[in-house]
Amino acid sequence: MTKKQKYWIRRVVRTIITAFGVTLIAFLILHLSKGDPVKIMLGPYATEENVAALRAKYNLDEPLHVQYLTWIGNVLKGDLGNSIRYNRSVNELIGERIGPTLILTGSGLVIAVVFGVMLGISAALRRNSLLDYFSTFQAMFWISIPAFWLGILLLYIFGLQLRWVPIAGMTGFTSIILPALTLGLRQEAWFARPMRAEMLEVLNQDYVKTAKAKGLKYRIVIWKHALRNALIPIVTMLALRLPWIIGGSVVVEVVFSWGGIGSLLVNSVLARDFPVVQAILLIIAITVVLANLFADLIYSVIDPRIRTAG
Amino acid sequence: MQNNDVTYENIRNDIKNLKRKKSSQMSLVWSRFKKNRLALVGFIIVSIVIFIAVFAPLLTPFDPLATDPINRLQGPSKEHWLGTDELGRDVLSRLFYGSRIALQIGVLIILFEGAIGILLGVVSGFFGGFVDSLIMRIVDILRSFPVIILAMAVAGILGQGVVNVVIALGLVGWTTYARMVRSKILSIKEMDYVEAAYSIGESRFSVVMRYILPNAVSTAIIMICIMMPTALIASATLSFLGVGVQPPSPAWGSMISAGRDYLLKAPWISTSAGLAIMFTVLGFNFIGDGLRDALDPTTKKN
Repeated sequence: MTKKQKYWIRRVVRTIITAFGVTLIAFLILHLSKGDPVKIMLGPYATEENVAALRAKYNLDEPLHVQYLTWIGNVLKGDLGNSIRYNRSVNELIGERIGPTLILTGSGLVIAVVFGVMLGISAALRRNSLLDYFSTFQAMFWISIPAFWLGILLLYIFGLQLRWVPIAGMTGFTSIILPALTLGLRQEAWFARPMRAEMLEVLNQDYVKTAKAKGLKYRIVIWKHALRNALIPIVTMLALRLPWIIGGSVVVEVVFSWGGIGSLLVNSVLARDFPVVQAILLIIAITVVLANLFADLIYSVIDPRIRTAG
Repeated sequence: MQNNDVTYENIRNDIKNLKRKKSSQMSLVWSRFKKNRLALVGFIIVSIVIFIAVFAPLLTPFDPLATDPINRLQGPSKEHWLGTDELGRDVLSRLFYGSRIALQIGVLIILFEGAIGILLGVVSGFFGGFVDSLIMRIVDILRSFPVIILAMAVAGILGQGVVNVVIALGLVGWTTYARMVRSKILSIKEMDYVEAAYSIGESRFSVVMRYILPNAVSTAIIMICIMMPTALIASATLSFLGVGVQPPSPAWGSMISAGRDYLLKAPWISTSAGLAIMFTVLGFNFIGDGLRDALDPTTKKN
């Protein structure tokens, strides 16, 4: 076996262990509550029969490991359980709401990467210029402002005062602008700063100096030699920031009444609709686990220098 | 025999010198930090916030919880500098008392997650092997959940209150410390002075206590400054989502949330709380950046 194969086998085993742990946490979270989860779900006025019926329905009288195996068995078959609040299958609920969330996180991600990469490159090319300082300062600003307040601020200025965009809900193209900006701008800082540092590093490399020395046009040196290599770490950054973008989308969905997974999650937590909470936690965490594996894979393909140790 | 003694004495001296060199490094770091203007600004902002939090009862003319329905949603005036909220409570007084909640929760989160994270990071980095793999897999697992999402679920299930917010956020937060401290310990383990300490027959315990931990302290201090903004924003977000510290206590997050319904009539409620969070977080971020640059001047050079 080559070193590379060994590395990938270890990497996949790690992913499987992590995925297993993630299911355990999503499952056990329900048992964090001090009292009987069913009584908490049904509220103080539930009758004894209702409680007993629900206990039986969720196998809560079985030992913990049996409960887990039943749950995970159903999940693997594609059945995420039933919502108590809506009295519908969780699959259906999530199916209806995954679209808006994907649109929101997708456009947030595009804004973050495009703005971040552009600002990072321009800051590196004009080091210590006004633009460079602006880039540093705006990055600091975005990471210091809570997403929910940025959302409310944008809503106040562009929705209530200027009336350029609808103030809530999903009504056509203009309604995505503010949520996507709120989500994307806050994450942009995390791409701009590494991009600038990486670009400066690459510009100092011998192969870029050689390209310049042999008389290639400035534009070609930048775009063909420097940028291609400087972009590689952005792939890793994307995987690293993904949990934060998903977390941010939950907050943004609440601020803008965006009917996606995030607002469903918040409502379910507040209503103690535990099967929905468990299912959404599981889906999000598994997405993050797979994204990390995928990012490593892409990284090793586009950068043959990747170290396979460790 | 005598020859051995001489070598031993030399090594002891070397180690002493190395320790002395470290302390001069610390003063170097401090002088670099002082030169950084933004870090100084951050330091001033944070000092002001701490001052307000400590002396809130003396600085505020009103009780932050006292309602006054006749004077509700009043704009900023001589009496109420930042206006009143939907129940007629003085926004400035609530803002000042809110700084207490913010800092209290922030510090508790840092202590809680820092203690767990630093301990497990040291154990992981020093012992390696199975213990290391086990701790690092737990870190992987917890980090697969976005902080705010797992914290919201946990806080929602545990119920409202400061302690539950701290537990919910610390549950994922410690992993950042554990990773950083672990990698620092791994690099310290390779240092000559650690090998020297072993070679003169010091025990593992004494090596950890005398050489490894003291050298990891700076990493831990930076971590704490860097993690404070995250703790502040996350706890405010939990309040906003309705699972953190809740009304009537004047948490900044819930002030923004409550003021949201009165944005047109009384924008000052949300705005003042929002600005308060932003400036506090900005202050800590300036300090964190300054510390990072001071400890690793190579990042500043290019």
